[in-house]
Amino acid sequence: MTEQLNSDKELDLKGLPCPMPIVKVSKGIKDIEIGQVLKAVTTDPGSLNDFPAWARSSGNEILDTHQNGEEITFYIKRSA
Amino acid sequence: MDKQLQDKLLELFTGKLSRQVQLYLDTCSRCGVCSDTCHVYASMPIPKYTPAYRAEVVRRIFKKYFKAQGKLLPVLGEAKILDETALDELKEAAYSCTGCRRCMVYCPFGIDTQQIMSIAKLLLIGANSEPEILTMLADMSISKGESIEESKERFIEGLKRLETDVIDKWKIKAGKTPIPTDAQNADILYVALAGAHSIVPAAAIFNAAGENWSLSFFEAVNFGAFVGDPAKTKLISDRIVNEAKRLKVKEVSICECGTAFRVMKHLSGPQPFKVSSLTEVHARYLREGRIKLDQSKFDLPVTYHDPCQMARNAGVIDDPRFILQHLTDDFREMAPDPKYNWCCGGGGGLVALGEETLDFRMKSARVKADQVKKTGAKILATACENCHTQLSDLNDHYKMNVEVKFLSSMVADALVH
Amino acid sequence: MDTIYTLILVPMVYLAFFVFFAGIIWRITALIRKPKLPTTLKIYPEKKPAILWALTDTFFLPGVRRNNPVLWFFLMVFHLCLLLLFIGHLELVWDLPMFQMIPHEIFLGNGFLGIILSVSLLFFLFRRFISPTKDLSVPEDYFVLILLFLTVIFGSEMDWARRWYAYEEMGPAEYRAYLQTLLAFKPDIGDVNISGHSFMLVLHVFFGNLFLMVFPFSNLMHSIFAIPLNKLRRG
Repeated sequence: MTEQLNSDKELDLKGLPCPMPIVKVSKGIKDIEIGQVLKAVTTDPGSLNDFPAWARSSGNEILDTHQNGEEITFYIKRSA
Repeated sequence: MDKQLQDKLLELFTGKLSRQVQLYLDTCSRCGVCSDTCHVYASMPIPKYTPAYRAEVVRRIFKKYFKAQGKLLPVLGEAKILDETALDELKEAAYSCTGCRRCMVYCPFGIDTQQIMSIAKLLLIGANSEPEILTMLADMSISKGESIEESKERFIEGLKRLETDVIDKWKIKAGKTPIPTDAQNADILYVALAGAHSIVPAAAIFNAAGENWSLSFFEAVNFGAFVGDPAKTKLISDRIVNEAKRLKVKEVSICECGTAFRVMKHLSGPQPFKVSSLTEVHARYLREGRIKLDQSKFDLPVTYHDPCQMARNAGVIDDPRFILQHLTDDFREMAPDPKYNWCCGGGGGLVALGEETLDFRMKSARVKADQVKKTGAKILATACENCHTQLSDLNDHYKMNVEVKFLSSMVADALVH
Repeated sequence: MDTIYTLILVPMVYLAFFVFFAGIIWRITALIRKPKLPTTLKIYPEKKPAILWALTDTFFLPGVRRNNPVLWFFLMVFHLCLLLLFIGHLELVWDLPMFQMIPHEIFLGNGFLGIILSVSLLFFLFRRFISPTKDLSVPEDYFVLILLFLTVIFGSEMDWARRWYAYEEMGPAEYRAYLQTLLAFKPDIGDVNISGHSFMLVLHVFFGNLFLMVFPFSNLMHSIFAIPLNKLRRG
């Protein structure tokens, strides 16, 4: 179950326009250690595409994504 | 700086020396006419913020390595070696310039500071000293192009959640898709931004006009252009070009994003399709009677901010005004006019750098805030994502007391049957 | 002294003109050999025909007028006088009937144009001691202005200096004789080095020579690049 994924840091990115969620996530992930998990919540529909693409290009891993109404939650493992 | 890096940077510099750029570097009498034509200098009168000074930062290196005068008598033109200090200066110059090209209008020679700054930006990339956020964003865009098949499903899923919003604005016949994607032979391929605000109003207007359109899987914004990387700029715009060719569309319409429009329309060579801005498409619908607008929808005075990359640098000047005539009886033109309009202060990647540049963006755009206030307008319309974000920040900072709106969303809200 | 006079009036003049023309050709060739950027760099709203607007921009400097009317006034006056004096120098060598449509005495201006030029040059120079122009200027900018000022001041006041000595002794006729021998590659400085005000002529020619030699390697090339640059802006 996705709800049970533990995270080491949370970012509330609700209401931010593109590309701010990605900008903040790419900074936020530097605050955790490799192997730790960052939880990010956005309301920007573009992030559904942006986050996986960013993870690919930056060498990080998205463990899980789930949507709840407007809100989209990502669990990202710092791998690089 | 080691010799190897220096050689690499000089090679990058050489690659930038087209006939036009060399003309710009060869000429400048340092008359200083450009100084207060720059919003940064006009707002903060510090010499390093004049366009000519910024250009000299690049020009001094040019003289040192590419000119006889700089090699023989470096003192005459203050030719400078390319070292760490030079890189710091290049960064300060390139990222305090929004590439609005207002100085170019006044310069007796028409020197294009944006072109000169593109050298500075490329050297910074070569030295790994560019703002890493911009490169990260550019890489993300390119990665999206490479993995499009994997993410298509997710994207279409995301669009589904926007459908009711589109239908709320304009009802369509049952069985029709409110936001079509992948439509072969569409008349228009619309390239939006990732946010709903860029998709929903535009979709409603296309549907109202009965357009045979398709939404692109890619976002229009070109972070490669912001960071000044020609290879990445091309990769990012090629994603869209390839999609347009694959679908055999007649026209590609770029959303309200000045840089994306100018790159596609003017800076990436001839395309097998027509390139237009969303604003031009809306004006065309109005002219052809395909959509009708309620002129009493907005009863507050309206002014319009010309995005530099749309107006002065790409020629979309009359169409937004034509649209606004159908939206309000109280349109107030800014002074000075579009050709001489002040930049919002957010271009050139500064807005994408977010809070990092916020303080500078606010201080450097005081003249813009004054210009808006003088109109007495309560609604500030614009047609560029960057400008919209920056103007909203300015609105908070300078208490401009306006509502910043996208022109397309105003059109969508005023649609009538 | 005679040797120095002769060196300045003959070999240095040839050298100066050689450097001037060769330098300009070299600069232009270097430019043309560069690849052309395929994209447009024009500014909107566009106006047609672009070339006419580009010429208007080049010769009437509308951007400068809008931004700084005082500078614009001096720039216009300066460049106009420069053009008239250029014609004046041509008339010194040949009879040019087309310029005599408005009858005037040779030499044109008798020093007045030169005074206007000098005042403009001093204006340009002193502007460069005030920020932000001060922060933009490099030694070359001052050097070129001073060089031009010296050339102009000695050239324009030659006629005035003549009055201190025997006025009939050395005038346009003698200058013409000297210049024509130079042009015919049979240099003969004739009587231009013996009069009391000859030193003015020699200094004028000396600074003029330096000016010609500096021209292709300095920002003075703006005079040649201005039209193509303005064309780029107009598309």
